[in-house]
Amino acid sequence: MTDEKTSAPTGAAPPREVDFLRRLSATPELGPAILLIVMLVVFTAINPAFISLNNISNALTFTVELGLIALGMTLLMTSGEFDLSVGSVFGFTAVVMWTLINSTALGMPLAFLIAMSVALAIGAINGFFVTRLKIPSFLVTLGMLLVVRGSALWLTSGFPQRTWDAGEQWLAEWLVGDFCIGGAGDFCTGGLRVYMSLIWFVLIAALLHYVLTRTRFGNWIQATGGNPAAARNRGVPIRRVKMLLFMLTSALAGLTGIISSIRVSAANPNSGTTYELEVIAMVVIGGTALMGGRGTILGTVLGVLILRLMRNGIVLIGVPGLAYNIFIGAIILGMMALHSALERRHNEGT
Amino acid sequence: MTTPIVEMRGIEKFYGRIHALRGVNLHVSKGEIVGLLGDNGAGKSTLIKVLSGAVPFTSGEILINGRTVELNTTNDAIDAGVETIYQDSALVPQLSIARNLFLGREITRGPLGRLDQGQMNAVASDLLRRVGITKNIPPTTPISSLSGGERQAVAIARAMYFDSEIIILDEPTNNLGVAETQGVLNFVRDARDKGHACIFIAHNIHHVFQVVDRMVVMRRGEVVADDLSPKTSTIQDVEDIITGEHMAA
Ligand SMILES: Nc1ncnc2c1ncn2[C@@H]1O[C@H](COP(=O)(O)OP(=O)(O)OP(=O)(O)O)[C@@H](O)[C@H]1O
Ligand SMILES: [Mg+2]
Repeated sequence: MTDEKTSAPTGAAPPREVDFLRRLSATPELGPAILLIVMLVVFTAINPAFISLNNISNALTFTVELGLIALGMTLLMTSGEFDLSVGSVFGFTAVVMWTLINSTALGMPLAFLIAMSVALAIGAINGFFVTRLKIPSFLVTLGMLLVVRGSALWLTSGFPQRTWDAGEQWLAEWLVGDFCIGGAGDFCTGGLRVYMSLIWFVLIAALLHYVLTRTRFGNWIQATGGNPAAARNRGVPIRRVKMLLFMLTSALAGLTGIISSIRVSAANPNSGTTYELEVIAMVVIGGTALMGGRGTILGTVLGVLILRLMRNGIVLIGVPGLAYNIFIGAIILGMMALHSALERRHNEGT
Repeated sequence: MTTPIVEMRGIEKFYGRIHALRGVNLHVSKGEIVGLLGDNGAGKSTLIKVLSGAVPFTSGEILINGRTVELNTTNDAIDAGVETIYQDSALVPQLSIARNLFLGREITRGPLGRLDQGQMNAVASDLLRRVGITKNIPPTTPISSLSGGERQAVAIARAMYFDSEIIILDEPTNNLGVAETQGVLNFVRDARDKGHACIFIAHNIHHVFQVVDRMVVMRRGEVVADDLSPKTSTIQDVEDIITGEHMAA
């Protein structure tokens, strides 16, 4: 392998096919981008209603909420860890906030801050167990999933919390308010209704993309996941990096849970169940390595869109909704095969 | 004789009950390559981990340029001028050459810590040329697409750039082909000629003989010889000292 490299003539242009494969392996987003375009074309060809503004804005609302968690998870997975407790934090944080609002005199902003602190604390505990006690994140966050879900059920005796006095709060407006682009009337006829969660998603995606690719902290995240021993030897505080990312992911899961509870007017202690799997699927489909070292926010955005369009599209083209998981599973397997083949090529240094 | 750049005095190290270092003394001077030899488990890696701030030691003293230093973290050691190149844990394969060169010492601008990529790439290109990589390898190339010898060159270039007093290389020639080994040995000589002190650890005694000025041999946590010269000793002599044969004879 090494000899091949040194003896290869450097000036000669590689064959075109090799060149394309090389570009593909250096750009993990390319695979998901192509898949997304193919899906759009196929679904629209079968049912032109698919591309309608209304359909798109409906499809996006719920999706970007999950996508917010996926953004945090992308950075966490790039650093070599992941978090299975996000679904339960999603449910629990909203339950905490609404229980406080309903049973105490605290206003919404204060209850919001307390609930978010709880989410941050859960992330910090995950981080502590992983970085200080050296327990694999699979086990730590699986345990945390059960503890947090159990707490949500216990706190509420299993009943959903009332959320009806959220509407007129400025904070609620900021989190889930919506506005209408180009439409008319209460139902935004003919226009595109945009929820605040989409704005949050775009802003946070842009910010985290910048952090991951352009800043020192992003460099540390990639180094921590890529070769932790090398990072440590260069003085990179890898435990602090992971700790912060566990807290970020947990905070985004909590924020998402609160946004969702206001939008659907219910804080159900069971909500968010299995979201962790959907979120991880979004991230890996986008090209972030499960073992760390390489992550892409852009890829995750594509992964979010792919999963959502799939859910929407198969219903529109008349496949029973129950078959959804078959398609999702197949996409995950196909994308994993593609990414691992590219990764191997990449590591062989072709 | 001038004051040594690095001096370790009476270093003791216990791993629980295992007495890994037993009062080790070691000194290395400017412009000198010292070969550190010893059988498996002799304590070579432990000694350099102590010097690079990666493990705490039980007692003893470390001086750099005549002054006692506290090396509690790898950052302390790097700041004190000790650069260590570990075989498998020197570089991050997914990151570019430039980003590896500056890992933990990034050039940044502004409050968010934005990387100054232009500056980092410029320095990296210049360094690659200086350590003799004449092939046209852009500084944005990921480490994973470099050969083993090129990777060692990047690690050595990094140590030279940060003006380290002493560069420690733990088995830098493992798994390298003949040509690449010669390349790495050249980089080490080059670093010495630019005034860095070097500690060179290798199991291949032929590689050691080609490059070092002086050899130190450890056995069971102790230094048993510290002034062997490749000019006056034969490979057989040194091998006997490593295994303890010379005492049996
Ligand atoms: N982390 C550790 N915990 C406990 N004992 C250790 C640890 N690291 C090393 N040792 C012990 O300390 C002694 C010296 O080991 P060290 O790794 O320094 O030897 P070495 O000379 O580098 O050997 P090699 O040539 O095999 O790399 C050995 O007995 C080893 O088992
Ligand atoms: Mg060793």
